[in-house]
Amino acid sequence: MSTLLSRVAENLYWAARYLERAEGTARVVREHTNLLIDIPTSVLTSWEPLLTITGAEDFDALDESAIVQHLVADTKNPGSIISSVAQARENLRTCREIIPVSAWNAVNDLHLYVTARAPEGVARQSRTRFTDHVIGEHQRIMGILTTMMSRDEAYTMLRLGRHVERADMTTRVLDVLATSLLSDNAPGAGLYDDLLWSSLLRSLSASQMYQRDPGRTDGAAGALDFVLHTSSFPRSVRYCLESVRESVQRLPRPSATLAAVDMSLSILSTVDPAQLSADGVHNMVDRMEIAIGNVHNEISMAYFTAFDASH
Amino acid sequence: MTMAEIRTTEGTWDELLLEDGTPRPAAAALVAQLQSLGMVELQERQNLAELDILAAGITFTVYNDGRGTDRAWPMDIVPRIIEAAEWRRTELGLSQRLRALNRFIHDIYHQQDIIRDGVFPADLLADSVNFRPQCTGVNPAFGVWAHICGSDLVRDDKGVLHVLEDNLRVPSGVSYLMQNRLISKRAFADLFREQSILPVDDYPDRLRRLLFSLAPERSAMARQTGVVLLTPGIYNSAYFEHTFLAQRMGIPLVEGADLFVDRDDRVWMRTIAGPQPVDVIYRRIDDLYLDPEVFNPDSTLGVPGLMRAWQSGTVAIANAPGAGVADDKVVYAWVPDMIRYYLGEEPLLPNVPTYRCHYPDELAYVLDHAHELVLKPANESGGYGITIGDRATPAQLAAAIKAVRQDPRNWVAQPILSLSTAPTLSNGELAPRHIDLRPFVLSGESTYVTTGGLTRVALVEGSLIVNSSQGGGSKDTWIVEI
Repeated sequence: MSTLLSRVAENLYWAARYLERAEGTARVVREHTNLLIDIPTSVLTSWEPLLTITGAEDFDALDESAIVQHLVADTKNPGSIISSVAQARENLRTCREIIPVSAWNAVNDLHLYVTARAPEGVARQSRTRFTDHVIGEHQRIMGILTTMMSRDEAYTMLRLGRHVERADMTTRVLDVLATSLLSDNAPGAGLYDDLLWSSLLRSLSASQMYQRDPGRTDGAAGALDFVLHTSSFPRSVRYCLESVRESVQRLPRPSATLAAVDMSLSILSTVDPAQLSADGVHNMVDRMEIAIGNVHNEISMAYFTAFDASH
Repeated sequence: MTMAEIRTTEGTWDELLLEDGTPRPAAAALVAQLQSLGMVELQERQNLAELDILAAGITFTVYNDGRGTDRAWPMDIVPRIIEAAEWRRTELGLSQRLRALNRFIHDIYHQQDIIRDGVFPADLLADSVNFRPQCTGVNPAFGVWAHICGSDLVRDDKGVLHVLEDNLRVPSGVSYLMQNRLISKRAFADLFREQSILPVDDYPDRLRRLLFSLAPERSAMARQTGVVLLTPGIYNSAYFEHTFLAQRMGIPLVEGADLFVDRDDRVWMRTIAGPQPVDVIYRRIDDLYLDPEVFNPDSTLGVPGLMRAWQSGTVAIANAPGAGVADDKVVYAWVPDMIRYYLGEEPLLPNVPTYRCHYPDELAYVLDHAHELVLKPANESGGYGITIGDRATPAQLAAAIKAVRQDPRNWVAQPILSLSTAPTLSNGELAPRHIDLRPFVLSGESTYVTTGGLTRVALVEGSLIVNSSQGGGSKDTWIVEI
């Protein structure tokens, strides 16, 4: 018999999504900072693409400090690191009897850190230290959850949220960086392609595993292929979607959600990185985002929307 | 290193020391250790305990400053000690009291024999704000309505423990009782090894067993019994305790919106697998918020239809709705009579002598002697609304007297007790502070009393207000076998 309340399930799912989002944003900000240090300002100066990654496209300031402030420390931006962590904490506050005490304490610590130190995440000098800390603390939280929680429905909800968010984040990151890379009209862009590709991989923490992959192909198509299709790599879109599939199978009444997951997997399998243009990536990402959105909607309808037998 | 000196107040009963300054027998080992540790080490241990409390997130929420603030739970590491033999007598008194109180509540919602026999005044019931006509005729399991009770005990200057009030609605504090023990075990690890200090941590298991025993009987449907803890939510001052108890009992912590009642008066909780049946609800919500169909229609904390489900016997609610009829500072004055009436026994634990403003002669006395009495409104909790005659300003006292005159039925008065004290760390010394004791009593097929209880401390010298919402602190309570 299931005793996991829908309300609690929803809180757990969202907590995991927000935490994953905070880590993802921290990675992207960190790598973009490193990248721009390496590239002459005449070639690629823009921080603007990052706004797309975090879904903050209507923001109109374009200089580095305003954009990083927006992504890291802006409490009015629901996608900023500071907001994501705060929302994760808020979601977990009402699940404290479900998650290990040490996991709650770790989330609390992260929240205190992010709240107190957000300005350091904005200043270029201390930015990497800040993002490293956010990433490291999230890794610690996941470690506690992974090693201490029974593999019950509550755990499944956390896992579900984490992988839906990561699949979503990965496709957005691809969109932005691939667009800069594949467009021919950026003057002098070709010179820095290798830097850009390795930056893309690093933004997704994929670079080391990519290097080690015996079947990899070099260049843009190889990198894209790796982060899209490598089912053994835990940050690839395929891996995330397959994990979602596996999680859903552990839950009651999985069929509608499974159908949505399978749909997104089949869209993914039609993507051939070798054939992609900038527009093609855009197009593919749009379709994937819609498909992942559908997965989320099915999860939400099956498990969170309150049932009421009297209606 | 200087020996720690323990100060007492002349004329008050100290829990650790006799009048001549030597320790009471059960406290001998503790007093010896306090003295040999010295103030510096004691203060160090107190600081460590406070860090542990912060790290463990043991908090309570205060609202009277306009917004909810989580505060670290205030605990003084120097324990309060009661000898086991005395505690066993106290347990008997409490369980006797709860048997009578439950008989009274059941009677009030059925034949009302106690009124017919002239022991309890009918007009008191008619005026009672805690009487719920909707509960009439309902038959909870074992005839028990107040399953969880937190009675407040105080010791007077002669050393006699009195019941000050019975909390029969949604008493809180039991989680702090257990947390205090965790902290004090660290602060005085040696003493726990050297002497027999009775354990307190079986409470959640006892409560769990009690709750499961309340499940309505069903057809031979083989399924798990659905037992839940219903909380008003995160903004409630006792939310920490709700979380703690749900976790320790392994039952879901639900909010009103997680539950619904169907047309067949069955209660369900909304889970990811669809609706699951609920058989027993340990509610931590006041009666008037339980069911907007019956009580406060604006309540979003409760569950529409819950009362009809309970009335039709498909779900048990602990404490039962309406149990508060016996938890009222006025009804309290009749408890000794209830014990005699229902059980044919003499009360083992005395009440504090109480003047009932309901009766004109007692009212007249109260109005004449207000300056030497404690004036209590019937239905306030948390120490609010109480006026202590010899401490109130003339204006405060006049206002209280006016309120008593306007609505005498809702007031009682008691002599100002000289509450006992216990040595408490304060500004670098061990100084006397007034304390009370809240044991918890579980009633079902049988009765269980916690080993000791939550000792609350008035942290300001001379103050009698122990409520944590008003600046009180707490101590661990050691029941010591000698």
